[in-house]
Amino acid sequence: MTPTIERLHLRGVDLEVVRCGAGSPLVLLHGAEPVSPGAPFLPLLGRHAEVLAPSHPGFGHSTRPADFDTVYDLVHFYLEVLEHVGHDRVTLMGLSFGGWLAAEIAATCSHRIGRLILVDAVGIKVSDRETPDVLDVFNTAPAEVRRRSWHDPDRWAPDYDAMSDEALVGLARNRDALCLYAWHPYMYNPQLKRWLARIAVPTLVLWGAGDGVVTPAYGRAYTALIPGARFDAIPGAGHHPEVEQAEAFVERVVDFLEE
Amino acid sequence: MQAWYLNENPYPFVPPHVLDTADSVRASLPNKFCDPKVAADLFEEALDEYLLCDDVGINVVSNEHHSGINCLFGASPLILGVLARQTKNVRILSLGSLITVRKDPVRVAEEYAMADVMCRGRLEIGFVKSGGSEMASGNANPIGIVDRFWEAIDLILKTLSYREGPFSWEGKHFTHRHVNIWPGPWQQPHPPLWAATGDPTTSAELGRRGIVNVMVFRSAEETMRAWASYRKARAEAGLPAPGPDRFGYTAFVYTGDTDEEGVRVGSKLLWFLNTGLKSAPQYSKLLPGAVPPEYAPALYRTKPRPGTVAAPRPAAGLIGITPEQAMAKGLMFAGNPDSVYRQIKEFREKVGPFEHLVLASRSGFMTHQEATKGLKLFAKDVLPRLAEL
Repeated sequence: MTPTIERLHLRGVDLEVVRCGAGSPLVLLHGAEPVSPGAPFLPLLGRHAEVLAPSHPGFGHSTRPADFDTVYDLVHFYLEVLEHVGHDRVTLMGLSFGGWLAAEIAATCSHRIGRLILVDAVGIKVSDRETPDVLDVFNTAPAEVRRRSWHDPDRWAPDYDAMSDEALVGLARNRDALCLYAWHPYMYNPQLKRWLARIAVPTLVLWGAGDGVVTPAYGRAYTALIPGARFDAIPGAGHHPEVEQAEAFVERVVDFLEE
Repeated sequence: MQAWYLNENPYPFVPPHVLDTADSVRASLPNKFCDPKVAADLFEEALDEYLLCDDVGINVVSNEHHSGINCLFGASPLILGVLARQTKNVRILSLGSLITVRKDPVRVAEEYAMADVMCRGRLEIGFVKSGGSEMASGNANPIGIVDRFWEAIDLILKTLSYREGPFSWEGKHFTHRHVNIWPGPWQQPHPPLWAATGDPTTSAELGRRGIVNVMVFRSAEETMRAWASYRKARAEAGLPAPGPDRFGYTAFVYTGDTDEEGVRVGSKLLWFLNTGLKSAPQYSKLLPGAVPPEYAPALYRTKPRPGTVAAPRPAAGLIGITPEQAMAKGLMFAGNPDSVYRQIKEFREKVGPFEHLVLASRSGFMTHQEATKGLKLFAKDVLPRLAEL
């Protein structure tokens, strides 16, 4: 069950795709960082599904055309990717920023999607105008971002001193790309909330119970806007339950896939 | 050579323990630490210094920064309005409205045109790329600054110079379907243009466009590199070689009766670097887009590894500088009038001729009286000799 890295050339983008496992197809859209081929949850999930995890254009080793710079571009690009993966329907899973993309895609085009899984997803505005829903990871002190991102930061937060040059360059490139797409309005599309009701597939909303980047209460509000969606929180996890609680995370996903 | 006076009008009166414990003196320091009554006095003093300059033949510079102790001038156009009416003689440079932060360049052009008309053609317009904590303060995406900068300049210049409006602009970053400002600028087709940069790539584009390239607190080496790039770009484009009037240099300058006084009082100016630049990592080295990702190893690690390429962050390298170092680098010219003249002359011989010297001659805890004395001495005993250069 070793993940492989493939390339897909589409609409001027040279896309990096991590592939792992066998079974019904599951397209996984990442958050601030591409899914690492070494992530322990990948082979666990790969026992139950064929996971396809592209790095968004501009992230990881995927290219980004010069005029490709909005969530609109990403959504249309992934609509096209779904046409190209060779399956009538896929399970679409989105983590954090990728959850925003997954929600947009599902609201636009449910016929290519069998099931939807949103994990600590951003993308909508829930609270009042003076209460930010999503921690500003660009304007907040790094120590505070670290504290609020993880249930157990000492164990899981990246250690920049230990990382290779290549990994740090990648991290900075990913941060630039996220900033390009999501700076304003910060991490949401004001119009998306209205259209979530169009999502016509079984939906699971999963959340790290200790997420301080975007809270479980936001996740519950998100869930309430998607017809028939179910919410579940994973104890002992922050913004990255797939990392901090890989087994519990995969268990919940598999239960949902087998419903 | 012409002299230009710049007072960034900082607010140094925040309790030291607050400054020491704050991770940043810009963007995130609450404004409860700024007493508006003290700020009012500072505005008045700065404007009085500008009026003194008007009397003694030193041109004036209005700049703009936001949300920090380094500069209370949060809106250059407001100060231009005062200067346009209250000065009568000297030229007024705005350096400048933060065009990578402002949503509508047409409005920027409108403000500049008004100011130019009010002062009857004494305005000069300077562009700054900005960055750092200004992106948080201005709610502006730090990615794509360079593109926004040039498109904003293009739109501002067309707005100022086009006389047969309305015209339409549908660009990548800015759209405006109905541009037709009243009045247009006094100076046709537009006031003289400056831009502050030490980045050779930007300097090259300034060269192709013939815009005055002013350095702000840059070493001789950085200055020479940028201006060489300016000259080379013009030569490659088949354009005439630039005269000295295309180049400007900003330094801390203080003239005293004696060398001792000049250096002692002048050293107060270094507060700008040593206290005023303190900026949290999220507004500086970790700000997306500030430098290419290839420099991340030098910026993200707390323990540097040998062989790591340092990131090009010239301002960060100036924090903690001593007066001796600042004078050796040409960042500060200070002493008695003879010494100040000699230091400027020697620096000019080193980097090549430049017509504009911007005097950062008040900062930090330097008093209004000290600044006034230094400006008067400079105007009386240094400036006339600089005219011969």
